[in-house]
Amino acid sequence: MNAVAWLHVFLILGALNVAAAVFLNGATQRRTFILLALLESTALLMTGVATFLTDTATLQPLWQFPSLGRMQLRLMPFSALFLMVTAVVFAASLPFAAHDSAQYARAASRRLFLVLYQLLYLSMVVVFSADDVLSFLIAWEIMSLLVYGLVLFEHSRPASQRAAYLTLALSELGSVAAIIGLLLFAALTGHLDFAGLRAGSGVLSEGARWVIFLLTFYGFGVKAGIVPVNLWLPDAHAAAPRSVSPVLSGATLNLGIYAIMLVNMELLPTNQTAFGLVALITGSVSALIGILYATTQNDMKRALAHSSIENMGIVIAAFGASLVFASLNHPVLAGMALIVALYHMINHSVYKTLLFIGAGAVDAGTGTHEMNRLGGLIRRMPWTTLFFLGGIMAICALPPFNGFVSEWLTLQTMLRAAELTSVAVRVGFALSGALLALTAGLAITCFVMLFAMSFLGMARSKAASQAGEAPHAARIPMAALATLCLALGVLPTYVIPALDEVTAPLVHAHAVDSLVPAFFGANAAHPHGLPVGFIQQFHAIGAQVGQTLLPGRGLVVLHPGGTRNPVVFAMSTGYTLPVLAVLFLIVYVVFRGLTSGRQLQRRSVWAGGIRHFSPRTTYTATGFSAPVRVLFHTILRPIVSDDATETVGEHFRTVIRRETTEFHIVDRLTLRPVTHTVLWIAALLRRMHRGRVNTYAAYVLASLLVVLVVGLWPG
Amino acid sequence: MFNWFYTGLKTGIRTTPYPAKTDAAPGVSPGRPRATRFDAQVATVLAMRCPTGALVRHQRGVDVDYRHCVHCSRCRRDTGSAVMDWSQDYDWGALGAQAERAGHRFRDIFGHSLHIRFLDAGACGACMSEARQLNNPYYNIHRLGFFITPTPRDADILLVAGPVTDAMRIPLQKTYAAMPEPKRVVAMGVCALSGGVFGPSFISAGGVAQVIPVDVLVPGCPPPPLAILHGLLLAVERTMPSLLTMRVAETET
Amino acid sequence: MVVAAVMQRPSAAWQELHRICPARWPEVSVRTDHTMHIAHLMVTPTTIRPVCLWLFGEAEYHFATLVTEELDDTWHLTYVFYDPACHGWAYVELQQPLAQTSVMSIGDTIHAADWHEREAEDLFGLRFEGHPKLGEFVLHENWPEGVNPMRKQFDAHAPFAYHQQKTVWQPPTIVEAPGAFIMPIGPVYSDFAESAHFVIETTGEDMLRVLPRFFYKYRGVEKIAEGKTADHALLLAERLSGSSAFAHGFAFCRAMESLCETEVPPRARVLRSAFAELERLRHHVSVITGICASTGLAVAQAQGAIIEEDFLRLTAQVCGHRYLFGVLKPGGLTLAPDEQRLGLLRERVHALHTRLEELHTGLRYSSSFLDRLEDVGLIRAEVVKAFGLVGPVARASGSTADLRKLFRYGAYEQVNFEVPTETQGDGYARLRILFREAAQSMAIIERLLDDVPHGPVSAEVIPRAGAALGFVEAPLGATFHWLRLDAAGRVQRYRVSTPSFRNWHAFRVAVEHFSFQDFPIVLATFGLSNAECDR
Repeated sequence: MNAVAWLHVFLILGALNVAAAVFLNGATQRRTFILLALLESTALLMTGVATFLTDTATLQPLWQFPSLGRMQLRLMPFSALFLMVTAVVFAASLPFAAHDSAQYARAASRRLFLVLYQLLYLSMVVVFSADDVLSFLIAWEIMSLLVYGLVLFEHSRPASQRAAYLTLALSELGSVAAIIGLLLFAALTGHLDFAGLRAGSGVLSEGARWVIFLLTFYGFGVKAGIVPVNLWLPDAHAAAPRSVSPVLSGATLNLGIYAIMLVNMELLPTNQTAFGLVALITGSVSALIGILYATTQNDMKRALAHSSIENMGIVIAAFGASLVFASLNHPVLAGMALIVALYHMINHSVYKTLLFIGAGAVDAGTGTHEMNRLGGLIRRMPWTTLFFLGGIMAICALPPFNGFVSEWLTLQTMLRAAELTSVAVRVGFALSGALLALTAGLAITCFVMLFAMSFLGMARSKAASQAGEAPHAARIPMAALATLCLALGVLPTYVIPALDEVTAPLVHAHAVDSLVPAFFGANAAHPHGLPVGFIQQFHAIGAQVGQTLLPGRGLVVLHPGGTRNPVVFAMSTGYTLPVLAVLFLIVYVVFRGLTSGRQLQRRSVWAGGIRHFSPRTTYTATGFSAPVRVLFHTILRPIVSDDATETVGEHFRTVIRRETTEFHIVDRLTLRPVTHTVLWIAALLRRMHRGRVNTYAAYVLASLLVVLVVGLWPG
Repeated sequence: MFNWFYTGLKTGIRTTPYPAKTDAAPGVSPGRPRATRFDAQVATVLAMRCPTGALVRHQRGVDVDYRHCVHCSRCRRDTGSAVMDWSQDYDWGALGAQAERAGHRFRDIFGHSLHIRFLDAGACGACMSEARQLNNPYYNIHRLGFFITPTPRDADILLVAGPVTDAMRIPLQKTYAAMPEPKRVVAMGVCALSGGVFGPSFISAGGVAQVIPVDVLVPGCPPPPLAILHGLLLAVERTMPSLLTMRVAETET
Repeated sequence: MVVAAVMQRPSAAWQELHRICPARWPEVSVRTDHTMHIAHLMVTPTTIRPVCLWLFGEAEYHFATLVTEELDDTWHLTYVFYDPACHGWAYVELQQPLAQTSVMSIGDTIHAADWHEREAEDLFGLRFEGHPKLGEFVLHENWPEGVNPMRKQFDAHAPFAYHQQKTVWQPPTIVEAPGAFIMPIGPVYSDFAESAHFVIETTGEDMLRVLPRFFYKYRGVEKIAEGKTADHALLLAERLSGSSAFAHGFAFCRAMESLCETEVPPRARVLRSAFAELERLRHHVSVITGICASTGLAVAQAQGAIIEEDFLRLTAQVCGHRYLFGVLKPGGLTLAPDEQRLGLLRERVHALHTRLEELHTGLRYSSSFLDRLEDVGLIRAEVVKAFGLVGPVARASGSTADLRKLFRYGAYEQVNFEVPTETQGDGYARLRILFREAAQSMAIIERLLDDVPHGPVSAEVIPRAGAALGFVEAPLGATFHWLRLDAAGRVQRYRVSTPSFRNWHAFRVAVEHFSFQDFPIVLATFGLSNAECDR
């Protein structure tokens, strides 16, 4: 079957699933929903695979509007990649959503929830496969409204309402900007379909390009969660129902990335270095701010949401690097950077879906995702803990998991800026690289905290001490995703060529040869081949050992040093895994050998000799992140809103109260000044309204005078 | 910072020759009474003078029970002509009741590296002060492979001072339980041996041995640093034990 | 005959007490002891509070101690106040039948009396009406409710009865902040530390609240002293705190001599003061060494430790014991050091003090060291007044109170010396006070030894029934020993108020709102003794 046929299968199954959600009830509804969801995701996956195999764009007309032209869908490797990621995320999340919908008491609520969920899936697929501005925007708006509906779903909580309205307001603001940008683009080129836009993009002036770039980058960036338009994201992801958060973070963020790449790379190829630098800096700053706020959160879901901002920042930074390289005539480097961006996006979708399902399972098991009330879940939820740990290692970029590959390649790509000539651009890359490296370090702090405070130590609340293991509907997807994290980490040499198929049409060059050659293998086919003598030296020290035994190849990043001694960074997670396994085995055997005949002695926790060690005396997430709060005080700037001591007499204290509020730096620098100004003006206006007739008469007189003076002014 | 470096160098080596040689420096030990020959009448008067009952009247003189002697000097000052003999030695460490634990090979394991956890079970502060002197340049126990550790998890020896107050009983038991086997306990100071001037009473157990098994006893009030060192060396079987009671008969040989 | 030779005459204000008090409160009768400069204010249960508040507030008296006594079938409560300006004492005395166990609290307003009342409540079962924080204090959770060990019918020598209770002490938490947790320290902590437990409530950045829990080392000294002869009780006094054994022995002997009206021979008086200063010197060197250790300044710590050990050896050479145990006896000293030993003392103290000054110079120029002390662990002058702080801690925050200067007891009337004062109240001010006091002690020893009178070193003490207060400026500050003997010359009540008990009370004020790494440093600059506090 070809790709279009598979897409039809998907759409039919999707429609069936909506019907199942509406007409069935109870366990039957859930089982049917899960079965159909898995089937439709398989169909969508097959759509992607088929598109990759044919490797051409397939068009499918939808309908014709008399005045606006034809609306149509298309399938090509670029969009197919996003479709496949979406399929994986939804395949993992829908079972948990179906299972978890049982928490809603009313049947109508359950139906509405599943229908919204399913419609979000369909609308996203349409966004990814739209081939003209109109259908793209219509699907985009529907998707935005569905996200709003899902965030608002548990509307009885005030936090949900606030988050949902913020989400709606900011997405609509972003949509309006993006629509203006796209319509401007369409107006200037005279086309609404993507092919026409691409063909006509050459006529655009530099000013128009700037306007379109800024409007679409920050407009669509609202969905991708880049600074300064990401205010809604942490609130929305934290307030959304626990089975919706995985999809919001794992799939909808990718829409923003897709839209930005679509407009600014595919449709409107640029030769402006500045665009790339804007994206690069925005991305790196997003990454740092995202991880800083993630580290200082006490709430699992909020921390994960802030960490999504961080990961999207890394993706956007790599994308920006790609734009810069492309504009400066380094197509291979541009391809590398874009591959890295997409790779990291895929990785993020996989592990973040895993982590959000894990957080959802914790929430379902304990009733809270507040880390200060969790702890010790490893004893109550061993499987969840195991899979969650896989996700944690991946997001911390620890080998052999997938996060390591994409973050390593991101930093390596940043270093390739050495090949550029412009000092300003190199400084930009150096700063971004430094920010990303800092981000990577903080990420470890953040996720050690997230894992340790939730799963290790003592239970800090009754709920946590009585938690139940996650249902199969959450556990099996988590296991699958954790396996996928490992696979994407161990087999990058199979993933990168596939990604190369996606990026090659965009940057007009294949980067795969410079990223995945045989270890130190160089021949005439490789543009950055190594000197023969150099290779022989490396072979002499055994750098090729195991190459023939193991399938796959290594990742090599080559920096041109001198001609005799190029700088090579080579790494193979595929080889690393067995080596790590063997090393662990050797250590274990040696350890057992050394300690054989020794007796294991178990003692209770040493707590300074106090009689009873209570959970209150163990570290909280707030305590763990205190050093980060102190170090980055300038950025986080917490405000002690209430630091009060109540006393009896003069010196006997009964309560010491400290409440700190943190206004997100973006909030502090953008929204707050605006709202303050508006409120200030409103206050001024109110002062004018004194309600006395005389005052109003004076205003009228003053206005008349002004009009007269202006009107009668000579000239 | 260079100034401190220079100051350190200028100070030179101050460390005691003990245990290789006897340290004869004045003031390293307050000394303690020795069993002394007297006629029966004088012996009775002297034994009466002892406020802690450490002096035991004997047919031929006065015996000394070091578990109770706080060397208060009441048997050598203002006593007229009858004065107890006074020794200025410091190798006072003696073996506890259940010291003979066969098969532990304690010396083989810890003979050259030993970690000590100090515990204050209600001591007056003098014992702790003397134990702290072990780390000063004069005694420098690191040269012998002895180290003070803040956690009982790493400790091989528990060094306890004080009569074990009611409130310190559980912390003492917990600390002992937290130490990995093999382990030994050194009780230092008369309080830790018998309760000293404080007990046994309603609030103090009257000695560490009432709560946990003790291997080495170091009498003294407080035992000087060299006596504690002797006790620690004894705990790792690197020196010979002394006795807890001294009888007149033994002085004749 | 007066033992404490009081040079200053109490001022007119003190002379007027017998007029002012009855005028204000007709129920109050005043009996003035003009030889000892003690005004006994006999109050009633209703006037105890206003009289004490007036003394502490308007009349600006200092609170010394609260002595609770159970005599026959009556409670005798003596609130001891002294006026640092006019050198007079005011004993506010309350008597009520044993059946009546409630007393009006003054601790809710006079914070200095807070711990005294809590202690009396725990040990005697007295209820201090209006005190906001009574309950478990001296006796921990394993002690059965309602058993008050200081009561006469309680047998102190009954075998150690351990009462395992089901209840587990939970630190009372008062911090309300998201993510707040407790950092527990001790009772077994650090390399060498006296047992005490600290509950630190925090959100991670700074210590929001510090709750020290003491009396892990409560040995019941006041109880087990009862029924002993003075000679035996002296052994206990010396072992209240090993680091200031002589000072406490001295205070005990002064109480005994005051009660029995014994004149201490001049030679003993001079030597006692010289030995007390020798102990103060060694004590301060030890605290300075601790401060160096707390900041990780290894060489300075080693230098300090060498000087400390040299002082210990010198003490043993001159007095026969490294911590001055067994040197004192009521009426004088047990030993009469010859001229050669006193010469050695004089010469060595001078040499050691020169080395201490070198250490001081080194520390003054170590900016990394000073950074850790400056503006850390602040105690303001108001806190000194409210908490009734004493000793170097108080004098680093502007207090000038020093019993040696105020009451010129012992041989301090013969020498001129200065009471160093600093006003900053931070860790560095406390360090400077220690060095300056050490210099004064050295000077006092030199001056006293210049002219040691000849003659006997002890006088005979004939015990008699009654009570008296002995006070001494111990290395850590003012200490007050109340001694009551029965007709047989045995101790009927022995009450000790120690400087550590006073100053630990305010430790939390100094350490709160600083970060964790400042905790051991503030602890070291206070240099307090738990043994002295817990008794």
